[in-house]
Amino acid sequence: MKHVGAIAGRELNSLFVSPVAYAVMTLFAVLAGFFFLSGVLQFQEYVIRLQSFQAMEQLEELNLNDHVIAPFLHVMSVVLLFLVPGITMGLFASEKTNGTLELLLTSPITIWELVLGKFLAAVAFIAILVLLLALFPALLFIYGDPEWGKTAAGMLGLLLMGMAYASIGAFASSVTQSQFVAFFLAFVLLLVLWMLGFLADLGAAGGATSSEHVGDLLRYLSTADHFEGMVMGLVDTKDLAYFGVIVVAFLALTKAAVESVRWR
Amino acid sequence: MIEASGLSKRYGDLVAVDDVSFSVQPGEVVGFLGPNGAGKTTTMRMLTGFLPPTDGRAVIDGHDIFSDPLAARRAIGYLPESPPVYPEMSVEDYLLYVSKLKDVPRRQRSGAVDRAHERCGLTDVRRRVIGALSKGYRQRVGLAQAIVHDPPVMILDEPTVGLDPIQIREIRTLIGELAGIREGKARTVILSTHILPEVEAICQRVIIMHRGRKALDAPLADLQRGGASLEEIFARTTAREVVVPADATLEARP
Repeated sequence: MKHVGAIAGRELNSLFVSPVAYAVMTLFAVLAGFFFLSGVLQFQEYVIRLQSFQAMEQLEELNLNDHVIAPFLHVMSVVLLFLVPGITMGLFASEKTNGTLELLLTSPITIWELVLGKFLAAVAFIAILVLLLALFPALLFIYGDPEWGKTAAGMLGLLLMGMAYASIGAFASSVTQSQFVAFFLAFVLLLVLWMLGFLADLGAAGGATSSEHVGDLLRYLSTADHFEGMVMGLVDTKDLAYFGVIVVAFLALTKAAVESVRWR
Repeated sequence: MIEASGLSKRYGDLVAVDDVSFSVQPGEVVGFLGPNGAGKTTTMRMLTGFLPPTDGRAVIDGHDIFSDPLAARRAIGYLPESPPVYPEMSVEDYLLYVSKLKDVPRRQRSGAVDRAHERCGLTDVRRRVIGALSKGYRQRVGLAQAIVHDPPVMILDEPTVGLDPIQIREIRTLIGELAGIREGKARTVILSTHILPEVEAICQRVIIMHRGRKALDAPLADLQRGGASLEEIFARTTAREVVVPADATLEARP
């Protein structure tokens, strides 16, 4: 596993010399700023309205975690849906078009080292994005008193979700030569995975009671549902295991796809 | 040093390489010739472990490329048809990265990179970004990449393709030098090419591939003693419909 660091380091470097990293970071920061600001303003307006109605009970229940940070993290998790494919699209596809895959596969490294190195580079970048994002809730700690644990759990959830997305993006990049195709394949896979929960809700609303088990299964498979719990401050081993399984499964698929160059 | 026995590669019904065997002694420089599509690149890719053979085996420096792949790959410096470089990296960073991939011990890395710069005439451009270099220099970077870990075996796939005559001469001289210098011991080299004078300039032995088979395998000196030019021999060998074993080819020569 000694080559993982070298591979991850080169990948991160090449991300930061290309405009992709800066475009993604800028877009992420701008969107985060926009959604955060609009969330805070809405919250403020809501508080003022409740105060004018003297609705003390509801005012008691109001808190920054549930009414500002949670919706903010939800929106940003959707933003990750299309930003992560942008980060991962080049992981393997660019090695193929560069001809550098031939260098890698004839070097004394294992394919696991290659796949892990690439994955960790993407995760490191996503961690930077999540840290960038953490600056916004950090502001709330200066002017208010949200709960530490709940906020941290939400951040962790976002990072885990990003890791799962990165493994799926890595897989998409490993099955094609074109970064463009890699981007869309990853995006579609992520979108489907994310929407499974809504699909289940739709089914339930449509009165398809016989498919209750199917609905549960879909909800279980959906990333959104596992993220939900963590945003509420519940770090459940079930959710951790879910993200772990997704990462391991897609990295294994990625390894197989990279290896398959040799079978063809 | 290089031992290929019964190497074959089939893609469905298509036979790219058919039962090719040869062995290369330490220090030998072998020219790999053949028309396009003769199976040169495929054979080289099987020797480097990039492609698994359908049949047969390859042993590099005593390590089977399939059962002991990491040790075998460590012994090979490989330059594919297009140099496997990252255009956004500087020459120095790139070679340092390759030295890590090729298991050069940490303490020797900067020394190994300096040596590769020097040998391939890259010292002046070491901080330049590879994408901004000329094709000739990029080819030098490709060669530097193949020798940075000082391997006993070099496998070069058309190292002079797409270069201008002056660059070709430079690269050719460079290959000759690289074949010679390796801590006192000579390097074993296989290189494929279309340029026949190139073979006469640097190789000691010629292997001609034709339609996936080895059509001729003889020391260059023997061929030249026969009086025919390499070009004639090449034309004659590759024109043959039925491929005869190498020895027979030699005897059949007028």
